[in-house]
Amino acid sequence: MGIQPTELVVSNTDEPEVKSQDVAGRSPTQIALDRLRHDKIAMVCLAVVAVFVLIAIFAPLLTDLFGVELEGGDPVTDTKADSFPAIGPPDYGFTWEAPLGLEPRTGNDLLAEWFYGARTSLGVATFATVAATLMGIVIGLVAGFARGWLDRVIAFVIDIFLSLPFILVALALAPIIVSRFGAQPERLEFVQLCALLFVLSVFGWMTLARLIRGEVLSLREREFVQAARVIGVPTRSILFKELLPNLVAPIVVSISLGLPAFVTAEAGLAFLGIGVVGIPSWGQTVNRAVEFFSTYPLFLYAPVVGICLLVIALNLLGDAVRDAFDPKTRR
Amino acid sequence: MTQPEVAAAPASTDGSGQRPILEVTNLRKYFPVQSAGVIRRTIGHVQAVDGVSFQVEQGGALGLVGESGCGKSTTGRLITRLLDPTSGSMKFNGREIGNLSNKQMLPLRKEIQMIFQDPYSSLNPRHTVGTIVGTPLRVHKMVPDKQVLTRVKELLEVVGLNPEHYNRYPSEFSGGQRQRIGVARALALQPKVLVADEPVSALDVSIQAQVVNLLQDVQKEFNIAFLFIAHDLAVVRHFCPDVAVMYLGKIVEIADRETLYARPHHPYTQALLSAVPDVKQAAIGGRRERIRLEGDVPSPVNPPSGCRFRTRCWMAQDICAKQEPPLLQIGPKHKVACHFAGEYGAMPTSPITLDALGVDQHGTPVSGAAPSTEDLIKPGFSDAYTNLETHKSSSERLVGDRIVDDPKGEGTATEK
Repeated sequence: MGIQPTELVVSNTDEPEVKSQDVAGRSPTQIALDRLRHDKIAMVCLAVVAVFVLIAIFAPLLTDLFGVELEGGDPVTDTKADSFPAIGPPDYGFTWEAPLGLEPRTGNDLLAEWFYGARTSLGVATFATVAATLMGIVIGLVAGFARGWLDRVIAFVIDIFLSLPFILVALALAPIIVSRFGAQPERLEFVQLCALLFVLSVFGWMTLARLIRGEVLSLREREFVQAARVIGVPTRSILFKELLPNLVAPIVVSISLGLPAFVTAEAGLAFLGIGVVGIPSWGQTVNRAVEFFSTYPLFLYAPVVGICLLVIALNLLGDAVRDAFDPKTRR
Repeated sequence: MTQPEVAAAPASTDGSGQRPILEVTNLRKYFPVQSAGVIRRTIGHVQAVDGVSFQVEQGGALGLVGESGCGKSTTGRLITRLLDPTSGSMKFNGREIGNLSNKQMLPLRKEIQMIFQDPYSSLNPRHTVGTIVGTPLRVHKMVPDKQVLTRVKELLEVVGLNPEHYNRYPSEFSGGQRQRIGVARALALQPKVLVADEPVSALDVSIQAQVVNLLQDVQKEFNIAFLFIAHDLAVVRHFCPDVAVMYLGKIVEIADRETLYARPHHPYTQALLSAVPDVKQAAIGGRRERIRLEGDVPSPVNPPSGCRFRTRCWMAQDICAKQEPPLLQIGPKHKVACHFAGEYGAMPTSPITLDALGVDQHGTPVSGAAPSTEDLIKPGFSDAYTNLETHKSSSERLVGDRIVDDPKGEGTATEK
């Protein structure tokens, strides 16, 4: 027995190739994403969310595709004397002219409203999440790293914001804005959207800021931060290049759990009539559909299914992301 | 051995021929202790480092040993300016660095680097080895941006790692390999002083030797001065020609390796050395007397008066509570801070520091006797010194008559 010379030659020529492929290491984020890719539930949820995102982005295209029109209803031609739609549910069968039916009284198409509702919902939620996350990251990093009086002041502000009742502030803000911009209806819409985004962002950053502050407090005592200071790395680089990469997990988890919360909040505020006006929203549709529930349930089901599906998919995805990024908390 | 009695040594002469690169004089670091509640008042100070003086020669190595909490790591962090000193002076190459602002300190960061204790937390887990070792190069613009990777590979090779592994993350390395990465990062700036804060205590014993040998190699190759902080006396003995023993924020004995390990004069050093297991003696069955210290280290918030070691010392007498023993130079490269300094088993029964302090054996100042003008906080060793015998006889001369009168006598050991 013994190793044949040919075998040796083969293994020698192979080795450098294998080695050069092997040496690139995988970052913890890459490992987490890989873990996420093997999670079937997460992938299904991701697909659902992706469908919603596509609907939101291509809402105008989709309405054209289905031959429907936003706010194209005519109360005279599209509704009967009892104010129910003249075609489609609830009185007639399914029709491609209005796949989800028409709205009673106005005769507006509900499918178009649903598509644009998805757009509002995801758009508002995304913007609020991004704004709240950025605020949370910066404030948390500064509070954790500053120590001393600045930390105490920020902690105090966080406590104040946490103690303010969100719904109450939102309810109070709406009439103020309406009375301030009531004279200009065309600006009112925009202002009200801004006010909604502002309220959602301003009440969404505290949890993440607290989380990040705590993480930074523990990380800043780690020796790699001390090493960076001994090297002379500027404080800003220490915060954003040394500490921030170590906070990817809590940030990603906070984003993925914050999105569904903002979707719900947007719908809830719209239902209460203090969300966006003049823009289709699932919450408003729900609000208007409640009185027709006994006679026209589809009117209510469409937006409710939309909200539920999106929120459940986002929540399950968020859980999977948390498990992938933070394997220690896995059940 | 007998040297002429010289009270004041000229400052220019140095015991060593080498130029000191790092000179620390009377360094203090007090951490405020604050009360709980909304209005925080400072109710005390943790005297972590309290008047430490030493020097490290160019390319030399000073070992700093002592038990946990004695302030040796704080000293290391003060020198690297991770902490700001409360008072005292630290001179690098003759330049004061204790009061520099962060900005002023930046160019000097290159010269003074640090190796950390825990290789599992001293490397950023989210950065590749290339980024970690390359960061100091980029911050100080040691090499043009394009050459950073080449230099990183060189450095990895110097510390005995595969240079092709620059793309990997710290989690893919073992403890010893990680510590090598830490060494490579410190070497990247070509420092003149390396503070090694327990660089091997978190490693397996088999790996410790490798890392210590690596440190010795880089010391020789790049002529780096080491401040080697450790609690492992064997490692310090192997690595450092000079060793300082710290207790509760003060240096109690500082000497060259041979003197300190063979003839320790401070009771704490003796106790520390007696706790080191000795394979040779275990093999021949001989038993060495082990000194057991009673009690715990006192709180550095409220340290004992006089000599800080007196609460656990078997030789403590009245004077130890009243007078702090000065760090007297008693040999060519040997300083000790004890009223009863002497080799174990042959320690003097009357205080030897009386002439230096100008007090009697109970610690009360003697009228007419002036304390010596010797510079007791000088960092290095002097060429001229007063040896133990001279101190002893002149101390006895100072209080000669009183010892006879005193019923308690000179040798009454008071148990504390």
